[in-house]
Amino acid sequence: MKKAYLGIDIGSISTKAVIIDEKNKILASEYLWTEGNPMEAVKKVLRSLEPQFKKKTYQIVSVGTTGSARKLIGAMVGASVVKNEITAHAIGTTSLYPDVRTILEIGGQDSKIILIEDGVVVDYAMNTLCAAGTGSFLSSQARRLGVEVEEFGKIALKSKKPTNIAARCTVFAESDLVHKAQIGHRKEDIIAGLCKAVVTNYLNNVGKGKKIVAPVVFQGGVSKNIGVTKAFEEATGCDVIVDPNSHLMGALGVAILARKSKKEKEFSFNITDMEFKTIGIECQKCANHCEIICVYKNNQMIDSWGNRCENGAIPIKNKEA
Amino acid sequence: MKVGIPRAFLYYKYHYLWESFLEELGIEYVVSPYTNREIYQQGTIYAIDEACLSSKIYLGHVASLLGKCDYILVPRVFGFGEDGSVCTKFQAIYDVVNNTFRNQKIKILYYNINPKETANEFRSFLKMGKFLGKKKAQITRAYLIAKQNQKVNQLMDMKRQESLLEKDGMKILLVGHPYNVYDRYIGDPIIQYLKSLEVTPIIADLCDKKAAREASFQVSETLPWAFNRELVGAIEIYRKKIDGIILMSSFPCGPDSLVNEIILRRIKGIPILNLVLDGQDGSAGLETRLESFIDIIKIKRDEKDED
Amino acid sequence: MKTKEPCRVAFPRFGNYHIPLEFLFTKGLGVEYITPPPSTKKTLEIGSKYSPDYVCSPFKFNLGNYIEAIEAGANTLVQTGGTCRLGYYGELHEQILKDLGYDVKFVNMSKANYRNPLTFYNEFKKVNPNLNLAKVSSALLTMLKMVECIDNVDDYVRQNVGFEVHDGEMEKIHEAYLEALKQVETKKDVIKTTKTYMKKLKDVKTKKPKKLIRVGIVGEYYTIMEPFSNHFIEKELAKKGIVIYRWMNVTNSILHYDGKEQKKVIKNYVKYYMGATSMSTVYKTLEWAKAGFDGIVHVKSFGCTPEIDAMPVLQKISADYKIPILYFSFDSQTSETGIQTRLEAFYDMIMMRKEKRK
Repeated sequence: MKKAYLGIDIGSISTKAVIIDEKNKILASEYLWTEGNPMEAVKKVLRSLEPQFKKKTYQIVSVGTTGSARKLIGAMVGASVVKNEITAHAIGTTSLYPDVRTILEIGGQDSKIILIEDGVVVDYAMNTLCAAGTGSFLSSQARRLGVEVEEFGKIALKSKKPTNIAARCTVFAESDLVHKAQIGHRKEDIIAGLCKAVVTNYLNNVGKGKKIVAPVVFQGGVSKNIGVTKAFEEATGCDVIVDPNSHLMGALGVAILARKSKKEKEFSFNITDMEFKTIGIECQKCANHCEIICVYKNNQMIDSWGNRCENGAIPIKNKEA
Repeated sequence: MKVGIPRAFLYYKYHYLWESFLEELGIEYVVSPYTNREIYQQGTIYAIDEACLSSKIYLGHVASLLGKCDYILVPRVFGFGEDGSVCTKFQAIYDVVNNTFRNQKIKILYYNINPKETANEFRSFLKMGKFLGKKKAQITRAYLIAKQNQKVNQLMDMKRQESLLEKDGMKILLVGHPYNVYDRYIGDPIIQYLKSLEVTPIIADLCDKKAAREASFQVSETLPWAFNRELVGAIEIYRKKIDGIILMSSFPCGPDSLVNEIILRRIKGIPILNLVLDGQDGSAGLETRLESFIDIIKIKRDEKDED
Repeated sequence: MKTKEPCRVAFPRFGNYHIPLEFLFTKGLGVEYITPPPSTKKTLEIGSKYSPDYVCSPFKFNLGNYIEAIEAGANTLVQTGGTCRLGYYGELHEQILKDLGYDVKFVNMSKANYRNPLTFYNEFKKVNPNLNLAKVSSALLTMLKMVECIDNVDDYVRQNVGFEVHDGEMEKIHEAYLEALKQVETKKDVIKTTKTYMKKLKDVKTKKPKKLIRVGIVGEYYTIMEPFSNHFIEKELAKKGIVIYRWMNVTNSILHYDGKEQKKVIKNYVKYYMGATSMSTVYKTLEWAKAGFDGIVHVKSFGCTPEIDAMPVLQKISADYKIPILYFSFDSQTSETGIQTRLEAFYDMIMMRKEKRK
């Protein structure tokens, strides 16, 4: 039996997962919408991964989770590594591109920049304020224009004169967009303008004060949008690499971290048949009113977090080792 | 030698003084162009994302002058003593520019106004003149002429506005920092739009400064900032002669965030529109808001006339 | 306000300084002091509801504290002056509370003139007309000692709490210390109590690795000192086994402030005073960068102008000394998970950099 490792990246918009072998080769992968229900999304992802690899040859011995719901899913699947998405993305990308110096990443609600020297993260930043310039912003604008977001990139490439769109804030951008459409700008110009605005906004916010050095790798859901990739190339003057698996880098990174952790425990797909739920309670033990999240597996609490002080700690009976 | 002057921030308060001072000293200068999209975008590239729109535009103007002159004029103001203090932006701007454009090896021409260190305007201009290689007598003469020139021109601007106040028709007081009100990218479109609606815009900043600062105490006792005092006082002086007030701020202006709230809570009996501008060039929403504001004033006035 | 009603004073919540403030008002000015309940989500919600939209968040917290203090029985509110927007907080707070219909006395220190100490005395007299100057000055001295002691103990905890063998021990002693301080009468008591608890803290078993990770925290006055407003960032970092350094406290920034020295140290980066806390931010960042710290965390409330203006300077220092700086800007909608992710990644980055240097 050969060892395999599972990495799951649960973002607010999409859920990604990979299974790798001991040489980081991807044996199976899946990408689907989170749809506001990370637990259900993970079950779906697992059901889809299961038939993809040879269960007779490989046994998953360690699981890693990353993304905004990493903790919740980590508790659910019994992960040996729960890692933030910045580190996970850096590890995943450097495994494929050891020389990479700059990672640009635009996901559903978050965007980030990671600077790397000799394979080590030396600086990073994440978006501060609003969702302008992230994936969810693009999807909502696509809906407004009656275009599938997947088509966005191709349409943008047709434009010869991108429209200028104000993109500092979602609200401002939306009113501007409507206005531009009404005064008769062509759809492809507006879409190309949006792609440009996403890039401008990214460079002014996340990329502020950061020196972008080649090789540059662009990833996250929005990297599938060739319009944005092109806008990045124009704005930075660098070639921008987009890996075919660019959306899987976080999952890959955390799978590698699970492998390196050496914490091994056989993973079983039967958790897809179990019932998981979370209950959020507001702690009343002091004025901070921390929101404590309790995770239940088959009606038994397996983990809880969110309390800032010991008063809010909830004892876990029969916590699985 | 050629000096570059950014057409932003204090330019709108001091350009008569600066330009005439440099002319009298026989020093060539260039003023950056009116704010346009390119300047604004350059500004957003250099400025910290969270900084106010006006300071982004300022950095855009500085950037537009790089390579076009030997020195860029960036004055620094600590405060005006008894007349009030300034937003810390004006205290910091010299060092902000210096650090932001360090890699471009920027060379700054500056003077510092800090009554605490007795650096009054004349003395600081003397220092600046010496830096420019001029003699004391020559600098003194240039300063006095420039100062006179500034006074005369400001008086003329003031008188011109006073005659507007006597005109018939609707008059709206624009309360905003001159670097926002006059800026081609932020305030000027609003002025032009008001004119197209046959409204006479009255500029709060053109009110007599000293009288305005004194009048401002009737509205607010502890207001620290001199520039805001001048604007608040203008409301008090003009309020009987105008039909409405537009507060115009750039996002997220520190002083205005508090002062506008005081104005809204204390100035009663006159319609006020509070506009916060953030560099969007889609003017559709803005025009709608201005138009409905003017319409409401008109309807109310007509109702009154019928009574 | 009914004129005969006894004065019950409150000042906005701010770190642990409500303890020395209570001492000053009760022992020095002879009036009752109402400590506003600790700041919570609700405090910020109430404050935001009645504040102008894009004002900095300390204004909103203060307003929330006032309203909660009034509900707890306060009838006299105090606001300080300041060199940034803080200098105008008081007048607007007073106006908003008046418009909300609260019948309270508002003592605004912005009305006092720094060049004339007598004007401060006059403001205090509004709190208690039968002021005893000797009593006030003696209480003031004790209060200042108390501030210094609180800051000292705070520093010790900050630098050691990440290494205690049994979690939570230091926090318990720290809390007990603050409780004990509420009972003191004299300056001697303050010193004695502090010594006792400092010893207890030093007796707590800690296990420090040979190579320590040192991170300095810099930033805007309120956000850096009020843990709720910065989402308990120091505690979160300490938990990861980091020694946290923070220069900014009342002792260093007011009692022992040396602006000239700061200006001298940072003269290659900054020529003029840049407003409020920006100079100290640059000063400590540079000193810690020179001392080879592993990282700097910069915190501020959204839109804080002086701290925004310090950022281009910090970026230069970061580039010159190759020290990573993590920037946080807090407003009323900051998400908890976002902060966690950034802090975790910051820690991972520091560890990776350390590994690489070996």
